[in-house]
Amino acid sequence: MKHRLLTLLSMIILMVLPALCFAKADLTIAVDSPPKTMNPHGYNSDANLSYMSNFFDGLLQRAPKDGKLMPALATEWERIDELTWKFILRQGVKFHNGNDFNAADVKFTFERMKDPEYSKFLNIANSIASIETPDDFTIIFKTVKPIPWFAETMHQNFIVDKESSEGRESGDYNTRAIGTGAYKFVEWAKGSYIKLEANADYWEGAPFFKNVEIKPITEDATRFAAIAARQADLLSGVPIPMIDRISKTPTIEVVSRAARRCIYMDIGNKEGTPFADLRVRKAIAMAINEDEIVKTIMRGQATPTAQVPDIATIGYEPSLKRLPFDPEAAKALLKDAGYPEGFPITIAGPNDRYINDKQICEAVAKYLAKIGLKVTLDVKPKSIFFDELASNKHMFYLIGWMDGSYDFGRSAEMLLHTVDPEKGMGTYNGAMYSDPTLDKMIIDSASILDRAERGKALQAINKKSVEDLAWIPLHYQQDIYAIQKGSGLNFIPRPDRWIVLKEITKK
Amino acid sequence: MASYIVHRIIQGIMVLLAVSFICFLLFRYTGDPVLMLAGKYATQQEREQVRIAYGLDRPFYVQYASFLGNALRGNFGKSYVSQVDALDSILERFPATFELALTAIIFSFTVGVGLGILVSLKPNGALSRIIMAGSLGGISIPTFLMGILWVMLFAVYLEWLPPFGRGDTVQIGPWRSGFFTLDGLKHLIMPALTLSGYQLAVLLRLTRAGMREVLSEEYIKTAWAKGLSPFKVIIKHALRNVLIPVVTIAGLSFGELIAFSIVTESIFQWPGMGNLLLTSIFETDQPIIVTYIMLAAFIILFINIMVDLLYAFLNPRIRYD
Repeated sequence: MKHRLLTLLSMIILMVLPALCFAKADLTIAVDSPPKTMNPHGYNSDANLSYMSNFFDGLLQRAPKDGKLMPALATEWERIDELTWKFILRQGVKFHNGNDFNAADVKFTFERMKDPEYSKFLNIANSIASIETPDDFTIIFKTVKPIPWFAETMHQNFIVDKESSEGRESGDYNTRAIGTGAYKFVEWAKGSYIKLEANADYWEGAPFFKNVEIKPITEDATRFAAIAARQADLLSGVPIPMIDRISKTPTIEVVSRAARRCIYMDIGNKEGTPFADLRVRKAIAMAINEDEIVKTIMRGQATPTAQVPDIATIGYEPSLKRLPFDPEAAKALLKDAGYPEGFPITIAGPNDRYINDKQICEAVAKYLAKIGLKVTLDVKPKSIFFDELASNKHMFYLIGWMDGSYDFGRSAEMLLHTVDPEKGMGTYNGAMYSDPTLDKMIIDSASILDRAERGKALQAINKKSVEDLAWIPLHYQQDIYAIQKGSGLNFIPRPDRWIVLKEITKK
Repeated sequence: MASYIVHRIIQGIMVLLAVSFICFLLFRYTGDPVLMLAGKYATQQEREQVRIAYGLDRPFYVQYASFLGNALRGNFGKSYVSQVDALDSILERFPATFELALTAIIFSFTVGVGLGILVSLKPNGALSRIIMAGSLGGISIPTFLMGILWVMLFAVYLEWLPPFGRGDTVQIGPWRSGFFTLDGLKHLIMPALTLSGYQLAVLLRLTRAGMREVLSEEYIKTAWAKGLSPFKVIIKHALRNVLIPVVTIAGLSFGELIAFSIVTESIFQWPGMGNLLLTSIFETDQPIIVTYIMLAAFIILFINIMVDLLYAFLNPRIRYD
C-alpha cells in the first residue's frame, strides 16, 4: 500500500516538473476582451482580430500609426476594372507548420469564408464571384458587383494553410492557430492566458519579444488591480471610472488616442412623423450639449465630432463643423416646424455595448426634455437592442460605428442607404432614414475606379448626410492604455486598437 | 432504500426536463443569435442563410425536440461563438471551479465549525461577541464587495498576493490543477476566501446555535459530571450531534458553490465555468448557457441525493422506507 502511494506521488511529481520549466514571458499584456476562437474567420470583432493579427497575415496590412494600407502577403495590388482585383503574392513565405504559402492557400481561404459553419465574414466572401490563380503567386478576384473597398478589407481577411486546414476537425481548427504571422501559437488556457512565441523565420524579420503572454481580464476593477500590482507590462482598456487613480500612480504611464469608433444618435425621416422635418432634426441636434457629455460622463476621454467616419477613413471631410449647442434656437426651430408644445419621443440604446452608453442616453433624454419634448427612455442589453434594430423598431437611438475597411463607402451602404434587403442595402439603417439623392450618390460612388476621385465622392456623401441630419454624431471614443514606466516599452497605440506584437519593442 | 433512490432519480429527470424547457423558452426573448452568427457586415439575406444553416428557422417545438434528442446522446451542440462542443468547453473549465469550491468549502467548514464551537463555549466573552459581529458581516456584505476589498488590500497595497487569475497550473491528464504549484496556491487564497465568506458565517451560526442547545442537555451534564475530558465532552458527545444539520447544509452549499461561483470568478478572472457562463450570456451563446444550466441543475440534484443518503448514514434513526 505504502509502495503504491509512493509510486503515485513520484508519478505526479514527474508530470508536474516539466510544466514548471516553461519559459517565463518577456512581455505580459493584459487586455479587456478574451479571445473567442482561434479560427481567424470565426469572429468578426476587433478584439478577436487583434489576437489573430499576431498569428496570421492578411494579403495587406495597416500601418501602425495612421492605418495606411501596406503590403503584407501580397506585394502589389490593383483594381483592374469595376469588378476585377489582382494581387501579386510574396514568395518564400512559410506557415508555422512548415508548409509553403501560395495562391492555392488564398483561394482556399476565401472559399472557406463562404461557409457559415466556419466564417462570420460572409459578407466579403459572398461578394466574390470567382477566384483565378493564373500562377502560384498571382490571384485574381472577380466580385459580383462593384466593391470599391475590396482591398481595404484585406488586412483583416487572414490567410490559412490549405493543406493542413482541410483535414483538421473543427474543434482543433477553432482552438489552435496555424498561420504565417510574426508569432506562433503556444498555448491557450481559456479564460486565463494565451502564450505566443516569436516566429524566427518571419518574412519581415523576427519580432523583438520572444515569449509573450496575453491575459484577458473582463472585470474593470480587476484590470486596474492587475496594472497597479504590476502583474502586466501593458494594459489595454483602462476603465474610465479609474482613469484618475491610474494617472496619479507614479509608476504608470497612461497613453490614449482617439479611437476610430464614433458614437452617434441615429434618426429617421419617415413621412408623417415629426422627424420628416429637417428643422425638427436640427432642433434635436442643437439641444444636445456634447461638451458636457464629454466632460462629465466621459471624464474628458472622448473627442466631439461632426461626422461618423474617423480621420483615417477614406471619405473623412475635414471642413465639417458641429452645430452649436443652443437650446433656445432649438425651441424656436420646433416652433417654426409646428411643434411649440413638443411631441413624444423615445430614445433607445444599448446599456452594455459602448463606453457609458446608458449614461449618454440619459443625458440626451434630459437635454431633449429641456426643449419641451416628451421623452421616454428605452435602454436595454445589446442582445435585445440589436435584435430590435434589425426589425426597425426604433426611430431614434444611440449606436456606435467603426468600419473595419477604413472606407466610408461600405458604411454609407449599410447605414445611410434606404433599407433594401433585396439589394443588401441599409442593413444597419435601423431608423430607416431615406433620401433618393443620397442613395444615388452612394451607388454611383461604387463604380469610380480612381481612388482620389472616389474619396471626393465619399466626402460629398458624408457632407450631405451631416447637413441633412441623417444622423447626429456625438463623439469618438478614446482608447486608453497603461504602461509600467520601468518596463521601457516602446508602444504606439493603433487606430483600430489591435495589439500587434511585432510593433512593440523595448527602449 | 433502493426504491427510494429510484424514486429520487425519476424526480431528478423530471426536474432536468423542466429546467431545459424553461431555458429554451426564455432564450426566445434574449435576442436573436443570428445577428452575431452572421457577422458584423452581413446583409439581411446573409442572415437568413445563416438562420437556415443553423436550423434556427424551425418552429420552437422542433428545435426543442432536436435539442433533447441530441442531449440524450450526450451532444449538447456547439458554441455559437467558438464553434467548439458546448459540453467540452464547459467541462474544460470544471477543474478550476471545482478546486476553488473545494478549497472554499473546506475552509468555511473547518473555520466555521471551529469558531462556532469556540463561541458557544463562552457566549458572552468579548472575543465571541467580535466573532459573532464579524459573522453578520460575512452574511450581509455582498461577495463582489468583499472580493474587491481583498484585492485592494492584499494585492494592490500590500502586494502579498496576486490580484487575479489562476497562476501556474499543471496538466494531469484532462485535469488542469493549480494545487501543485506555489504560484497556483497563492492565486487560490483570495478567491477561496471570498467565495467561502457567506458559507463560513452560516456554518458558524448554525454550529453555535446547535452547540448551545446540546450543551444544556442532560447527557452532556452527565458527561461533565463523570469527569470526562473537555475534548471528549465537546467533540465526541456534543459536536457529533450538532454536526448532522451542519454537514447537510455544507453539502448542499457545495453544489451551489460549484454552480454559482460566477461573481467570485469574474472578480478574480478565475478561469472557471462561472466566468464562461457570464461571457456567454453577453454573447447570446445559447448552447453554452443551456448546457451550463443543465449541468448546474444536474450537479445540485446529484449532491442533494448524496446528502440525503449521507444523512441516513449519519443519523441511523432516519429511514427512507
